[in-house]
Amino acid sequence: MIPYEAMVLMKVAAIYGGLLATAALMTLAERKVSAWIQWRVGPNRVGPFGLLQPLADGVKFIFKEEVVPEGANRFLFRLAPMMAAVPAMLTVAVIPFAGEASLFGHATTISITDLDVSAIYVIAIGGLGVYGVILGGWSSNSKYSLLGGLRASAQMISYELSLLLAILCVVLAAGTLDLREIVHAQQAGWWNVVWAPDLFLLFVIATFAETNRHPFDFAECEPELVGGFHTEYSSMKFALFFLGEYCAMTVMACLTTVFFLGGYAIPFFPEAPWFLELPAFLLKAGFFLFLFIWVRWTLPRFRFDQLMALGWKVFLPYALFRVFATGAIVSFGGFA
Amino acid sequence: MVIVKRKQLSFRERLFLPEIARALSHSFRAIFKPKITRQYPEERLPTTEVTRGQPRLTLLEDGNTLACVSCGLCEIACPAYAITIDGHETDRFIEREPERFEIDMLRCILCGFCEEACPKDAIFMSDELELADFTRAALVYDIDKLKRPKAELQRRIDYFYRVNSRWRKSSSTS
Repeated sequence: MIPYEAMVLMKVAAIYGGLLATAALMTLAERKVSAWIQWRVGPNRVGPFGLLQPLADGVKFIFKEEVVPEGANRFLFRLAPMMAAVPAMLTVAVIPFAGEASLFGHATTISITDLDVSAIYVIAIGGLGVYGVILGGWSSNSKYSLLGGLRASAQMISYELSLLLAILCVVLAAGTLDLREIVHAQQAGWWNVVWAPDLFLLFVIATFAETNRHPFDFAECEPELVGGFHTEYSSMKFALFFLGEYCAMTVMACLTTVFFLGGYAIPFFPEAPWFLELPAFLLKAGFFLFLFIWVRWTLPRFRFDQLMALGWKVFLPYALFRVFATGAIVSFGGFA
Repeated sequence: MVIVKRKQLSFRERLFLPEIARALSHSFRAIFKPKITRQYPEERLPTTEVTRGQPRLTLLEDGNTLACVSCGLCEIACPAYAITIDGHETDRFIEREPERFEIDMLRCILCGFCEEACPKDAIFMSDELELADFTRAALVYDIDKLKRPKAELQRRIDYFYRVNSRWRKSSSTS
């Protein structure tokens, strides 16, 4: 039997290792799925099915020359990629991947920690991600970067509102801010997607905007802004932005699963052991990761004013209305 | 002046969601379509007799001597000045052969004029298309890199005689 602390450290290592591996595999999956959708084969030279491609990319990025543009704010220029990558990775700490488990003789739960305000933690830390984008855009001393950064921050802030209100509805219905309790509430009753398919849809679409993914990827709108906020970045710093983006996608996929698809709950089988719940969770989250890529290679990009109009004129009023409606239902004892 | 009449979208169209679902199902079905990728180094494009690849020198039936008599016609015909020939005399019945025959493959434009100019069936456009190396010097091909047994070029030679049959009956060597 190993000490409790060692078990916790192993859990942390496993979950962060899993997150980084997922982010790395997502870069491959992005290329593979885009290739399949376009009737191509995709990368298949490095390792079986090209599985070692992310490794090769990583090595390449490390050996690339690092260029800092003239007139750039060097401190912020270095800080920005970290600001983009770190918050996305921090959020994963509270996500409940599975229920109670006994690991090496210790009773524990499959998550790094169980905060009782984890929903707020997720929103607070997740909101920091916009700093990486805006700082990267501003510190590069390039108009394209600045425009990309500005757009991205405007977009992320406007969609975060609707995202937050959708989470608020779920929190109201479950009566708790603890992600694990939200999962338990869905395990006991209906999954949230059943009573709120509209909120689910709103949440998913806002997630795309929040992570700067197609069709809302105005931060790196190639035809207009060269590369957007990361135009001036090279080598591993550029890779860090992508790591941040894919980590954010992974976390958002997990959050969508937790808030709307019952987290690790398996239908009609509430007593499932953790080693069945974990694959169930990963399957659900994996679907959303696939959806991110699938949508990217299907839909054309929005216009920026359309994006803002959708965010402020449709999503926000509707989410507000939904909060009031859910509040009314709850106060009349609808979810008790 | 053009007046563009915008199509009035119905509510269902303005909602976009049904159309998005349709697009998603379309791209999902595309995943299972047969792939059009050709895995190049393993799966090459088929070459035909018409393929006009890099020029190569033919060897005579003995498989050792070049058909070239270093007359210099291809050198003159070459619009890219890619060919350099130095000839010398031999004791054979055909008195001349090239001492040096170089084609700068970086200059060659694969036009095939050398093939048409040659009176001795000594140079033909092969079906070899690949051209890559690490130095420029390595891409200046000398006789050793250019010579090919006649059998390898036979398909092109037959084609060449067929298309030019009206004014070219035979060469003086073959």
